[in-house]
Amino acid sequence: MNPETLVAINVGLPVVSALALLILNDKRIRTAIVSLSTLVLISSAFLLYQSGGIVFSPEHIYEQAVVALDFILLVYFLYAGIKAKSPPVIALGLAQIIPAAYFEFVVKGTHVENIIMVDSLSILLTLIVNIIGSAVIIYALSYMEEHEHHLHLKKSRQNRFFFFLMLLLGAMNGMVYSNSLYWLYFFWEVTTLCCYELIRHDMTEEAKQNSVLALWMGLVGGVGFVAAMFVGYNAVHSIALTELMAAPQALMLAFGLIALAAFTKAAQFPWHSWLLGAMVAPTPVSALLHSSTMVNAGIYMLLRIAPAIQGTPLSSVIAFGGAFTFLVTAVLAIRQKVSKRILAYSTIGNLGLITLCIGINTALSYSAAVALLVFHSVAKGLLFLGAGVVENKIGSRNIEDWEGLLGRLPLTTTVMIAGMVSMFLPPFGMLLGKWVAVDAIASSPLYVGLPIIVMVVLGSAATTFYYAKWIGYMIVSPNSLEKHKDEILETPYKLSMVGLLIVNVVISLGAALVFDNIVIPVIKNVYPVVFATPNLSIDLGFTSFPVFALWGGSIAVILIGSWLAKSKGGVLSPPYLNGANVDNETFRTTADSEVKLSLSWVFLGGSINEAQYEKIALVLGALVTVALLLAGVI
Amino acid sequence: MHYDAGSCNGCDIEILAALTPKFDVERFGIVNIGDPKQADVLLVTGAVNHRNKEVLKNLYDQMPAPKMVIAIGTCACTGGVFHNCPNVLGGIDNVIPVDVYVPGCAARPEQIIDAVVLALNKLSGAVKVEEDSE
Amino acid sequence: MNTVQIVIATILALATPVIGGILAGVDRKLTAKMQERIGPPLVQPFYDVLKLWGKNPMISNNLQPILAFSYLGFALLAAGMVTFQQDLLLVLFIMGIADICLTVAAVSTKSPYSYLGGRREFLAMLSYEPVMLLVDIAIFLVTGSFTIKGIYAYGKPLAMVLPLALVALMFVLVIEMKKSPYDVSGSGHAHQELVRGVFTEFSGYTMALIELGHWTKLATTLMIFSLFWAPNPVIGAAISLAMFFIALVIDNIYPRLTWQKMLKTTWSTGFILVLLNLAVLVFGGII
Repeated sequence: MNPETLVAINVGLPVVSALALLILNDKRIRTAIVSLSTLVLISSAFLLYQSGGIVFSPEHIYEQAVVALDFILLVYFLYAGIKAKSPPVIALGLAQIIPAAYFEFVVKGTHVENIIMVDSLSILLTLIVNIIGSAVIIYALSYMEEHEHHLHLKKSRQNRFFFFLMLLLGAMNGMVYSNSLYWLYFFWEVTTLCCYELIRHDMTEEAKQNSVLALWMGLVGGVGFVAAMFVGYNAVHSIALTELMAAPQALMLAFGLIALAAFTKAAQFPWHSWLLGAMVAPTPVSALLHSSTMVNAGIYMLLRIAPAIQGTPLSSVIAFGGAFTFLVTAVLAIRQKVSKRILAYSTIGNLGLITLCIGINTALSYSAAVALLVFHSVAKGLLFLGAGVVENKIGSRNIEDWEGLLGRLPLTTTVMIAGMVSMFLPPFGMLLGKWVAVDAIASSPLYVGLPIIVMVVLGSAATTFYYAKWIGYMIVSPNSLEKHKDEILETPYKLSMVGLLIVNVVISLGAALVFDNIVIPVIKNVYPVVFATPNLSIDLGFTSFPVFALWGGSIAVILIGSWLAKSKGGVLSPPYLNGANVDNETFRTTADSEVKLSLSWVFLGGSINEAQYEKIALVLGALVTVALLLAGVI
Repeated sequence: MHYDAGSCNGCDIEILAALTPKFDVERFGIVNIGDPKQADVLLVTGAVNHRNKEVLKNLYDQMPAPKMVIAIGTCACTGGVFHNCPNVLGGIDNVIPVDVYVPGCAARPEQIIDAVVLALNKLSGAVKVEEDSE
Repeated sequence: MNTVQIVIATILALATPVIGGILAGVDRKLTAKMQERIGPPLVQPFYDVLKLWGKNPMISNNLQPILAFSYLGFALLAAGMVTFQQDLLLVLFIMGIADICLTVAAVSTKSPYSYLGGRREFLAMLSYEPVMLLVDIAIFLVTGSFTIKGIYAYGKPLAMVLPLALVALMFVLVIEMKKSPYDVSGSGHAHQELVRGVFTEFSGYTMALIELGHWTKLATTLMIFSLFWAPNPVIGAAISLAMFFIALVIDNIYPRLTWQKMLKTTWSTGFILVLLNLAVLVFGGII
């Protein structure tokens, strides 16, 4: 299959599929369309990987179509802003539509040769989008059924939901294949559209407000792109990415604007509140858009422009922006009581880690960023899927209802624990990526590296903290873990969760293969390859990560431990409650009353003042934003 | 592990004295652990009464076998001067099996150390491990 | 590495629990001497572990034994990484897994003392991990490598270049050994505040595993400290034993402080010491 067809499939099939899902609102037809589409998309991603990439020009009609659709989109945004009575949306919408029209019709600068450019970085994103996206959409089949059941909807609105979900996949793919800044901007805005529509899907007041928040922050990014187009065209008379990358000195401001857009999409400070607010949406939205796919658009942009801004102040600003975000979100996550908010903070923090690696902009740190991107997308997607299932089954988002979940929902909790362990413990991929990142930061110039490493070190300890706390809370059991028959998982749930879990374990076990086959192709176009993968381990020259030995050791420990536990066993004894036990959870106290033991989730309440940290976040974020633009001008 | 089943604290102070440098029961490898799950020897003082007999039984049950119980002071052995009072049970052996009795009011630290050593010898002399009935 | 070296490294790694046990015995004997007592025999800890192993098994929930063994297992894995001269960051992360196994085991039993101890243990980890990470990075900046192999290759003793880092590591050692003033999560002595803290719900063989794991971690940490005089292992051992002794003295002098104090003092003093050391090295032109 030739690459042009694959490109067409990756961008076009989701659109066609989305329209079909919109029109045909029947459950069985929907399952069929989704199953077929996801199979094709996953295969197409692998085939594209094998093809190695391509550069070509699509027919002129497509260019005209993009222009037309873009203006329709922008008008729709204006309409949404007017309906929501939101001045920022209207202002930002106008700030895009007027200059864009000027650019298209007066300057006539939007034509670019070779608009479609598929290289290793594009292929990596396609793999992530198609594979994880497919898992999430399959998951959504069951989730939305239960969700609408909980809401007692009379007429199903799932057609609208799946339309935007599927459309997003096409938009993401289109974005990573675009060489023209205009096309890239168009697909970017389509993702903003999907984000807006999906967040407000449930049509509650809270949902509508948060969708408007996401909309105007996304539009800031759009304005950034339009401005960057003007700056770029002014300097090199073209808006082709390849041309812009070739002459970076004159274009620092353009790159600063693009970096700003990337920051809004990846929810870095001060643009983080939209992602936190977006958690009101149904969980497939959080899994797809806000953890593993759409936010990667921002990371993709930074990865794309990084080679051109190596060694510049702009790059350092990006690094600091990511570092601040990483540290402060790690601390704030400790105080959260809603499961999805913890995951949201964790997402923003890890994206900050990836951002700072890109900002440090050495060969090693770029490798760390790519590796972290891969591992984070899979692990975080998995965690959101699990959180959604738990939410549906126990009917609550409050984390205190997660106490002792292992007894009630064994398979789901095991998947969640495996996902969390893979986020911060060796020998899994995220820890490997973090290890490479620490090595990279320590190897970079001290005046940048040292303050950032202090932030990474503190943030990383805080990350360990809240994940380990969560795991402990989930396995609380006053006595034996009797399996309850409560857990009935529908096939789409099982398929998507177990599938992603297997992917997660495989890529961690085969980390060396991931580095060889995915990271190296992305890097070697733009940076020297500074690591080797002998004997399935990762060798950086000055240190190494023995993947095989660590996995072997860990599995041996678990196996021996299980054997020992089974062979020695033990009588179950009640907890020590000063001898006043009534049963395993209750103790006798004053006036012969019996009190049930309750373990609270709240932590460090006196020490971390959330409001104060939010203010710090906004101040730091504002400074970073100003610095991004200044770094372009000075 | 030390439990005060309603004593006047006279024997408790003597137990504490056994831990001090003057008498130093730790030279036999003994430490005072407050957790029944990790204790081998239960030192009980005081005449046990209707309210704390359940606590005493609970603590005894939470200790894994092999274990020893030492009744310290006359109150723990037989109820002492409170023997026939309606609110006490008259000695802890009405609640849990006792291995060593240390009479005295208050029992002296040297006697307490002697009792502990006697209990440990009794423990190591016992070849079979008691099976828990639960 | 040739076969002889591999064999020696493996044996040394497996011997760390024994080394740690002897150190625990020395700890109790010296503490007794400082308090003008006779104290238990030196091998008392081994008697204790053997006794614990022989008790009737009693567990709090089904996951406890696996987690208790994992504590020991991952500590041994970390010891192996040290004897095989691997990356120090990874050693720290693996010891972190061991700690997390212990803490999760403690938090997962529905017992107030255990839960309290577990949460405080999280805070203890939060206190000492960043400082150790920063010291590892300081070592990298000086020797150019994160691995122990690199420290040996560096040639010069690290204690001459990073003396303040050694002082910062003193904080880490005190928290690690669960000694006053930082024994907030579960110390060796009976405490009415905590009972046994993080160790409360362990008994019998699970407690024996935890003890062995604790000794392994102690021995591994002291082995890492001895790297500060890599050229001469005897002096290195003397340095780590001296730090061990100082920890004992501090334990006997200080009362237990709050976790807030632990977090604040460890972070501020630890960070400031290491950063000061690095600043001096930068201005001195060494890095």
